[in-house]
Amino acid sequence: MKGLLPFIVIGVTTGAVYALASMGLVVTYTTSGVFNFAHGAVGMFATFVFNELRAGHGWPTPLAVAVAVLVVAPLLGIAVDRLLLGRLQGAPAATYVVVSLGLLVALQSAAVAIFGGQTRQVPPLFPSGSFSVAGVRVGYDQACVIAIALFVAVALAAFFRFTHLGLQTLAVVGDRDLTELVGTNARAVTTFSWVLGACFAALSGVLFAPVVGLDAVLLTLLVVQAFGAAVVGRLRSLPLTNLGAYGIAIAAAVATKYAATSPTLVGLPSSLPFIVLFGVLVASPRGFFAEIHGEGRVGRSTAARPAPAWRSLGAGMTVAAVLPAVLSGSRLLTATTTVIFVAIFASLSLLVGLSKQVSLCHAVFAVFGATTLSHLLKAGLPYPMALLLSAAVLVPLGALVSLPAIRLSGLFLALATFGFGILAQSLLFNSAIAFGRRAQVNLPRPSWFGGDVAFYYFALAVVVAGVAAIELVRISRLGRLLRAIGDSPAAVQSIGVNPTASRVMVFCLAAFVAGVAGGLLGSLTGQITSFTFDYFQSLVWLTVLVAAGPATLGGSILAAVLFIAVPAVVTSPTVIAWQPVAFGVAAILFAQAPNGIAGWFRLPDVDDLAARSAWRLDRRRATERAAAAIGAR
Amino acid sequence: MLRLEGVRAGYGRTEVLHGVDVVVPPGSAVALLGANGAGKSTLLRVASGLLPAWEGGITLCGDPVEDAPAHHRARRGLCLIPEGRAIFRQLTVRQNLAMHAGGKAVDRAVERSVAAFPVLGQRLHQIAGTLSGGQQQMLAVARALIADPQVVLADELSVGLAPVVVDDIFEAVEVLRREGRSLLLVEQYVNRALAVADYVYILHKGSVVFVGEPAQARSADIFSQYLGTGS
Repeated sequence: MKGLLPFIVIGVTTGAVYALASMGLVVTYTTSGVFNFAHGAVGMFATFVFNELRAGHGWPTPLAVAVAVLVVAPLLGIAVDRLLLGRLQGAPAATYVVVSLGLLVALQSAAVAIFGGQTRQVPPLFPSGSFSVAGVRVGYDQACVIAIALFVAVALAAFFRFTHLGLQTLAVVGDRDLTELVGTNARAVTTFSWVLGACFAALSGVLFAPVVGLDAVLLTLLVVQAFGAAVVGRLRSLPLTNLGAYGIAIAAAVATKYAATSPTLVGLPSSLPFIVLFGVLVASPRGFFAEIHGEGRVGRSTAARPAPAWRSLGAGMTVAAVLPAVLSGSRLLTATTTVIFVAIFASLSLLVGLSKQVSLCHAVFAVFGATTLSHLLKAGLPYPMALLLSAAVLVPLGALVSLPAIRLSGLFLALATFGFGILAQSLLFNSAIAFGRRAQVNLPRPSWFGGDVAFYYFALAVVVAGVAAIELVRISRLGRLLRAIGDSPAAVQSIGVNPTASRVMVFCLAAFVAGVAGGLLGSLTGQITSFTFDYFQSLVWLTVLVAAGPATLGGSILAAVLFIAVPAVVTSPTVIAWQPVAFGVAAILFAQAPNGIAGWFRLPDVDDLAARSAWRLDRRRATERAAAAIGAR
Repeated sequence: MLRLEGVRAGYGRTEVLHGVDVVVPPGSAVALLGANGAGKSTLLRVASGLLPAWEGGITLCGDPVEDAPAHHRARRGLCLIPEGRAIFRQLTVRQNLAMHAGGKAVDRAVERSVAAFPVLGQRLHQIAGTLSGGQQQMLAVARALIADPQVVLADELSVGLAPVVVDDIFEAVEVLRREGRSLLLVEQYVNRALAVADYVYILHKGSVVFVGEPAQARSADIFSQYLGTGS
C-alpha cells in the first residue's frame, strides 16, 4: 500500500484536471442540450493563446492565465453558441454531434497548421519543491492544482445554490419554455453556460500543459478524456462527475505501476478513461441515459429518395474505367486510392446517411481489415479468399460496436464509438492480432494483379461490387427500415418491427465493406503501419462525408475525390495543412443540408417529374368530372 | 390591454391560426372556448411569444410586442400559465417562487403565495415535482399572484384536478379579477369559464366563429354547434 501512495497523489492531481474539464462539459450539456465534442479543442486553443502570451510576448504568468481563461475562452464559447448553434435550433441530435465534431477537427487542425505538430515544453506554473504528507512527497504544483480544482468545484456548487443566475441555469435545465415565460432570457443563460464550459476547458488545459507539454493533438485528446468522467455522472450530476474524474485518474495512475512490469498492459493506463466511457455506455441499464431534447426538436426526414444510384454508379464506373489510359505512375496510385476510398465513404454513409447513426470508429474497421488480410496471406491463403475472410472476421466486430447502437441513440452512440475507436487503437493495435510489436504489417498484391494498372482494375471491380451491394441494401426493405429508424425508432417498433436486427446488420455490412477497403489500401502500398489510420482519421472521414453528401453514392464519390484526389493534385503544403480545417468548417456548414455539396448537383429526375405531372393531370380530370357531375344535377 | 390582430401562425408548414382577432380589454375576463385542435393553446403560445406569429399584430398595453421574445413580454406584464403543471419540477417550491419573482423580494412572493394557498407554506423546501397534482397547479397559479402581471393567460387550469382543488384554483382567479388584472382563460369546464367571463370567444378550426357575452353565447345555441355539448 505504501508503494501505491505516490501514484495516488499523481492520480488525484490528474483527476483534479479531469474534474475541471468534465464539470464544464456537464454544465454546458445540461443547460444547452448540446454535448460539445470540441470541448477539449476549445481548451487546447485557449492554452496555445496562453503560451503565446507568456512565452512569446513575455506577459507575467497570472495575467496570461487570466486572459486565456477569462477572456479568450469565454469569447470562444460565445462564438460557438451564437455562430454555430444558434441556427441549429430544432435540429436532430446527430446534427449537433456533427457540428461539434467539425469544430473539433477544424480547431485541432488549425492549431497544428499554425503552431506546428511538434510538442513544446511549457515552463511550470507553480513554484517547484515539495512537502511531505504521511511520508509521501507532494509537489507544490500538485497541491496547487488540487486546491484550484476543489475551490472551483465548491464555487460552482455555491453558484448553483445561492445565486439567482445559478437558479436560472437550473431552471433552463428543467424547462426552457417555462423559464422564458417567467421572464428569464433562456437564450442568454444558455450562452452563459457555454462561457462557463469554455472557461473550465481552458483552465484544465492551462493546468495540464506544463505536465504533458503543448501539443494540439494531445491537449485535445486529454481534455476529451473527461468524457469518461462525465458519463459516470450520466452527463448530469456534478458530484458524480467529480467522483468519476478522480476515480478514473487514480485507477489509471495505479495501473501505471503494474503496467511498467507487463508489456501487454502498457496501453491500459492511458486508455482507462475510454474503457470507462465505453463500458458505462454499454453496460448501463436501458433508459439510464436519456438525451436532453430542446423544445420543438422534431426530427425531419432528410433521407434522400430511395432510388438506387445506378446512374451515379454507371457514370463513376465509366470515368474510372478509362482513367488508366490517361494516368500513370503516382497519379495512377492516387486514382486507385480514390476508388478504394469510395467504398470506405459508401460504407460510412450506410451508417451516417441512411440510418442516422454517427459512428466514430470507422478507421478501426479499415485497419483491422488490412492487418487481418496480412496475417491470412502470411498463412498461405489465396488472395481473394483471404480478402473476403479478413472482411468476414470484421462482421462480429461490427456487431460488437453496434451493441451501444441498439440501446443508445444519437449522441451516446457517437460517444461509445468514439471511445471504442481510441480504445482499439491504444490497446489492440500493438497486439499480435493487429500490428504486433513492429507496428507495421506487409501486404503483397494478388499475384495475377501485381501491376499498377492490373491492381487498379482489380480494386475497381471489388469496390463496384461492394458499392452495388450497399445500393441494393439502400432500396431493399432493410434500407427502408433503416431510414424509418433514423426518423423514429419508436414508430418502427410500433409497427411490429424490431429495430435491433436492422441496426446490427447495417453495422456488420459497413464493417465488412470498410474491412475490404482497408485490405485493398494495404495491398496498394504494400504495407500499413499503426499510424496510417488513427482515431482522428475516423473523425475527419465523417466530416468529409457530411460535407460532400452522406445520403447518396454521388456524395461518397465526391468525398473520395475531395479527400484523396484534390490534395494529390494540389500539392502546396499550405493547402495540405489547411485541408482538414476546411473539411471541419464544411461539415459545420453542411450539417443541416440533407446531402452536403452533392445535394447541389442533383440532376432533374425525369421519371419523378413525369409521375408528378401525371398525378396532377389525373387530379385535374377528376375535378372536372366532379364539376360536370354537380352541374348536371 | 392585450390585442391580437389578424394573427396567422402554425407549426412547420401547417397553418393553425388563420387570421385571428382577439381583444382582452383592461380589467376584464375573456373565456376562449373551442373543441380539441381548434387552436386555443396555439393562440396562447403565440400571444406569449413561445411561438412566432407568421403575420399580424400583437399589442400589450398599447405597445407592439409581436417581435419581442417571450421573456420580454413576461417582463412587460404578460403571464402565461401553460397547460400541464407549469412548474420547475426539480427545484424546491421556494426556488420556484424565487424564479417567479425574478429573484427580487422573494420573501414577499412567498408570503403572498402562502396567503392564497396555505398548503404551499408547509412545503417550501420540498422538491416541486414531488407535490401532489393539485399542489403543483397551485404553485403554477401562484406565479400570476406574485409576478404582478397586467394580463394573465391560463390554459386549462382545471384539467386533471379534483373538484375541491378546482375551487381553490378558481378562487385565486377571482382574486386576480378583483385586483383588476385582465384574464384570458382557456377552460374545458364551459360553465365555470362563463361564470367568470365578461366576454366569450369561440375558436373553430383556427378561426374565431363567435364573439359575445356569455348570455348571448348561451342563447345562440352556439355550444352544441362548435363544442358538441348542450351547455
